[in-house]
Amino acid sequence: MTSHHPADEYQPVFAGATAERLREIGGRYPTKQAALLPALWLVQQARGWISDRNMTEVAEVLGLTPAYVKGVVTFYTMYHQHPVGRNFVQVCTTSPCNLCGAEDVLRAFLRHSGAGDPGATSPDGGWTIVEVECLGACGFATPVLVNDDFIESVTAEKVPDLVRRYA
Amino acid sequence: MPEPQVNLTIDGVPVNVPPDTLLIEAAKRAGVLVPHYCYHPGLPVAGVCRMCLVEVEKAPKLQIACATPVTEGMVVRTQSASARDARRGVLELLLINHPLDCPICDQAGECELQDFVFQEGRPGTRYAEFAKRFNPVEDFGPDVLYVPNRCILCTRCVRFMEDVAQEPVLNVSERGDRAYIGIHAEGRLDHPWAGNVVDLCPVGSLISKDFLHKARAWELDKTASICTGCSQGCNVTLDVRDNVVVRVRPRPNLDVNRYFICDHGRAHYRWLNRGDRLEAPLVRQPGGGGGGGGGGGHRAVDWDEALERARGILRGAAGRAVALVSPGASTEALFLARRALARFDWTGAFQLVIGDEAPLPGVPNLALRPERASNVTGAELVGYTRDYGAALEAAAGAAVVLVLDDPSAVVRTAGEVIYVGTVAPPTWEGGEPAVVLPIANVAEEEGTFVNRDGRVQRYLQAKPAPGMARPAWWVLGELGESGERPTSAADAFDRLAAAVEAFDGLSHADLGLLGRPLARRPAAAVPA
Amino acid sequence: MGVPHPPHARETVVLSQYFGDAEARTYKGWVKRGGYEALRKALALSPTAVTEEVKASGLRGRGGAGFPTGLKWSFMPKEKQKPHYLCVNADESEPGTFKDREIMRWTPHALLEGTAIAAHAIQAEVAYIYIRGEFTEPLAIMERALAEAEAANALGRLKVVLHRGAGAYICGEETALMNSIEGKRGNPRIRPPFPAAVGLFGMPTTINNVETLTAVPHIITRGAAWYKSLCLSNPKSTGTKLFSVCGHVQRPGTYEVTMGFPLKDLLSELCGGMHPGRTLKAAIPGGSSVPILNRDEVERCLLDYEGCVEVGTMLGSGGVIVFDDSADMVYQIMRLARFYAHESCAQCTQCREGTAWTTKILERILAGQGKPSDLDLLLDLADNMTGKTICVLSDSCAAPVVSGIKKFRDEFDAYLTGKKRPEAA
Repeated sequence: MTSHHPADEYQPVFAGATAERLREIGGRYPTKQAALLPALWLVQQARGWISDRNMTEVAEVLGLTPAYVKGVVTFYTMYHQHPVGRNFVQVCTTSPCNLCGAEDVLRAFLRHSGAGDPGATSPDGGWTIVEVECLGACGFATPVLVNDDFIESVTAEKVPDLVRRYA
Repeated sequence: MPEPQVNLTIDGVPVNVPPDTLLIEAAKRAGVLVPHYCYHPGLPVAGVCRMCLVEVEKAPKLQIACATPVTEGMVVRTQSASARDARRGVLELLLINHPLDCPICDQAGECELQDFVFQEGRPGTRYAEFAKRFNPVEDFGPDVLYVPNRCILCTRCVRFMEDVAQEPVLNVSERGDRAYIGIHAEGRLDHPWAGNVVDLCPVGSLISKDFLHKARAWELDKTASICTGCSQGCNVTLDVRDNVVVRVRPRPNLDVNRYFICDHGRAHYRWLNRGDRLEAPLVRQPGGGGGGGGGGGHRAVDWDEALERARGILRGAAGRAVALVSPGASTEALFLARRALARFDWTGAFQLVIGDEAPLPGVPNLALRPERASNVTGAELVGYTRDYGAALEAAAGAAVVLVLDDPSAVVRTAGEVIYVGTVAPPTWEGGEPAVVLPIANVAEEEGTFVNRDGRVQRYLQAKPAPGMARPAWWVLGELGESGERPTSAADAFDRLAAAVEAFDGLSHADLGLLGRPLARRPAAAVPA
Repeated sequence: MGVPHPPHARETVVLSQYFGDAEARTYKGWVKRGGYEALRKALALSPTAVTEEVKASGLRGRGGAGFPTGLKWSFMPKEKQKPHYLCVNADESEPGTFKDREIMRWTPHALLEGTAIAAHAIQAEVAYIYIRGEFTEPLAIMERALAEAEAANALGRLKVVLHRGAGAYICGEETALMNSIEGKRGNPRIRPPFPAAVGLFGMPTTINNVETLTAVPHIITRGAAWYKSLCLSNPKSTGTKLFSVCGHVQRPGTYEVTMGFPLKDLLSELCGGMHPGRTLKAAIPGGSSVPILNRDEVERCLLDYEGCVEVGTMLGSGGVIVFDDSADMVYQIMRLARFYAHESCAQCTQCREGTAWTTKILERILAGQGKPSDLDLLLDLADNMTGKTICVLSDSCAAPVVSGIKKFRDEFDAYLTGKKRPEAA
């Protein structure tokens, strides 16, 4: 006999206020499909990442297929397809920042956060550090996104403080 | 007033085509095949493979022929140095991560990558020091395997599922050189028309499990035929190796199935290879009477003797005759079966298996039809009905019952049974037929079917009939008077056309390989 | 959040006038500074009249293509039979470019005003502002500004929608941008059809860059003739341009100068020149997708569309990346190639495979395993990747490779001959 724990059952993202928010956003576009990117952001904001099951839910809500939604999710690098650390750090290392020590900043983050490798989550679950392409703040090298906080002019020396601030 | 045509020159050949014709199609009129992958006339244009780049005079850059409409006075060169360089470049880039799988790849011999690389690719690789991208094989569903390593991302499969099948169950996942064809974890490629992605795939990336490692493309003899799965009448090609049908593929017919067949029809060929065939004419031995008595069994004889016995039965009988036929028999056979019983008070009927309909939404009037037989309309036009029960009842008091390829028929009759078929039933439940005459199946003869829309279509012989089996039109023709026996399949059709009003005006020579519609669409056909 | 430098004497301050002025971000503050007057004036003119004024000004697209803006607007159907759309390209992802973010961070209402005027000119009822997903701060500021503007009914009947991207440089390509708004993968579209005929949701659409639109209110207020007069060199390049200077300079940042301004002066005077003890080796004036200039070419380069072409590069987005003598050109070119390989959408064979292969060859050279034939192979690949694809991402990958090999051959040779050893990781 299988037992159904409430925790096993899928909890929809688009219920209550979130569903209302999606409806409101949907009103800004002439097609339901166009609400897809905003819908995926809502899922990530609610759950921290977007699972295959979430994609099925989004598909149902917007009248798309799960495969279609997955094709879109995998195209855009900011959508997480697996859980990430409590702090998700994006360090720009494209050439303009690269010239200004970006790779040192990356290495400092990997070391001080305990994450070790780019893309890996630190053992305490606190940090995932990734290398990203140009963040559009090249004159304020090196820019870093910590979750939704866009922090400019980060140097390797400033990293330990930053890590402490967000720990 | 007809629209003015556009005049242009392709590789020096002047061409005259309707406006809005794509350059790649116009080139076909000039006898030029522009190499391409992602383009397919049955799919929306993508323009992504970049193989069909051609030089257009006065255009600053090479243009893709699949997305460039013709303009008046255009001068196109497909073999200029720049066009060939561009194609060689595309081919080189497609090969850098493409595994050297030809020895184990089913597509070899019918692979468009092989073909164009051989024709104009580089002889050697410049990518030698790097490892090729690797992803494991994926099982997409009932019949389709995906081999990502071989995929050239032409996206024909994605576009087919999205636009023609209208069930977007395949996607492109990831970006850049990490991209591959993806399917959602909870998805399967089980759409009733999904098997077409295997045909559409230019390389051996999407492959059929049914055909996996079964035969080499160059070993196959290809024959034009008609699918026997339902009454849609999709045009197919039967691929035969060593006299065994190993694969069914769609044959393009813009008026019927365009470029596609359904998975039911695609899988419906094994019966063509049955080994338990009737291979010799049989006559019943004395000791067994007609009408259900157990008996002395059958004795194999030659055609002359068997036909004499059958003719004798027909000459000696009078009154009612019943014909129980297969709705998949050729129109010629059905006609000749009726004509052989012309002297009698005649009832003819067939059993029909009905299944679920499965349309292909992106093509008008195309579906796997509920009537799971290939010549229902042909049978009805010749005069057979679906009232099988009544025919069975009438058979009880009939003088002659002719069974045409209906092994499930349980005939209880006071008269004689002439059984004409490809296989015998496990036991003669109703009683042993007086004569058993072996016939060829669809793959072993030439004939016609009439599809649900009233289109008469030919199928050709793909393999020899086993043993002494002969085409049904010949066998049934032989049961007629000596002056009336057709001498060929074509002759059989022409006699049918002369005698049956619905076929008025048609001759065998008109049919070609794409068929012809009857003058009047049959009433039974449901409009699209 | 970085504060911009005070304007240099040689800057021509038009768009950047209120950079650093926090009050200018608010609706009230913007109105106090003369905001939304231009919109009122424009709405009293016919759409054609507005378009003609912008045409006459010589304003050209500031996102990188430099296409004449008024001309682009004039491609829209004059007779309105279907919904028209305006898309604002705030996807700013071209390496070296960070000017649109400054506009949105400091003068969000300027962008809204320019958007509204453009929407009027092309008869669009809806404008989508596509902001790249990483621009969390500009997005928040634009949201606030839009709410204020709507509350004050400043935009009239125009509906403005802020649409957040999710991490794809290619969505800055105008047709990919439209696909992204529509909820699709950000794949560029084949053309024809062009956006003015079949664009967003299949309707006539114009896509303009943030900086382009922010210039429009000024043109309306001060006139096309004034804008046209802002010209130091070629009369086909008028107005001011925001240059984002980054890399090896003393004072990186956003600088607004008149078209035709000498690049060498921008670097040595406005940006304070090189770091102590360093000399200039190379610069890319227009974001990473245009050819690299060597020292001599930088000396001769005038910053306008034609001037850059004359020295063998392009003005592009105006993202000026500066390399001094400490820069490893081979490494940086590899890093740029890797950028393009990462961002390729995967449609076209040349881009999908070519950008990745180019990157691999450069990595191999840097690892000390390069072969003499590698440079010819790179050039051959670059030729294969140029002029043959749906969009110019692969051409953009080829540009630094070709110009780099041509002008910094000695650095490549140093790796190939083993004179330079790979750096320890």
